[in-house]
Amino acid sequence: MEDKKKAEYRRNIIVFVALAALTLIEFFIAINLESPAVPLFIIALIKAGLIVNYFMHIYRLWQPEDHE
Amino acid sequence: MSAVHDVAHATDEHEAPYEERTRRNRLGLWLFFFSEIFLFGALLASRFYLWGDTRPHLDQTLGLITTSVLLISSFFMAWSESAIKHGDRKASSRNMLITALFGTLFLVGVVGLEWGGEIRPTDGVYGAIFYMMTGIHALHVLSGIILILINWNLLRIGRYSTERHWGIEATASYWHYVDVVWVFFYPALYLIGTPV
Repeated sequence: MEDKKKAEYRRNIIVFVALAALTLIEFFIAINLESPAVPLFIIALIKAGLIVNYFMHIYRLWQPEDHE
Repeated sequence: MSAVHDVAHATDEHEAPYEERTRRNRLGLWLFFFSEIFLFGALLASRFYLWGDTRPHLDQTLGLITTSVLLISSFFMAWSESAIKHGDRKASSRNMLITALFGTLFLVGVVGLEWGGEIRPTDGVYGAIFYMMTGIHALHVLSGIILILINWNLLRIGRYSTERHWGIEATASYWHYVDVVWVFFYPALYLIGTPV
């Protein structure tokens, strides 16, 4: 139980750090590229995917809680 | 009296178990999220149709700060949900309040500061799109904060447990959804296009 709790907290931190890093990358891409729309859209999709999977737990729709 | 008791008992017997109700609620919530994609998608489409490869001059530092603040709030909301799932009510309660605080800071950044900047709602397509996108998103943030505070109070009075905390799960999912919307709004408003 305690291990599961720690693993979940650790996962939340890793996802948060990844999202923060991607946000900074977005910012620097926008500053340095002339037409950054495509890379920014791809990064936004990756960020959304991370949030939907790890924070919103979309898999719970088709998978019981115990299997997380 | 006995008949009333029998009816009440029968209702209990026919009520689906909590896990089953949660599964149904979850599906309903995701259908709601799906329906909201049409609203936010239409706003994004309007932005690209009307602004094209341009954008209004906005405070880049403020945009980055408000985005970071919303991201941090999402982290604390995820922490709150994980905490109640593992029986740590105190951490769940504390993190919900921190989330509401960061949500309020986000509103102060967008509505309080950015709306007081150069761009006005009357500035043609730039003003219209900017205020519509940030306004509708801010309304969702505000409703998220209200939901968080309601659930914080329900947790405080003992309505949630490790096994039964659908309200917190739903609020957390809603909050993250609002964050996902901003993930697309931030580059569309602040980063893509040449400032005019």
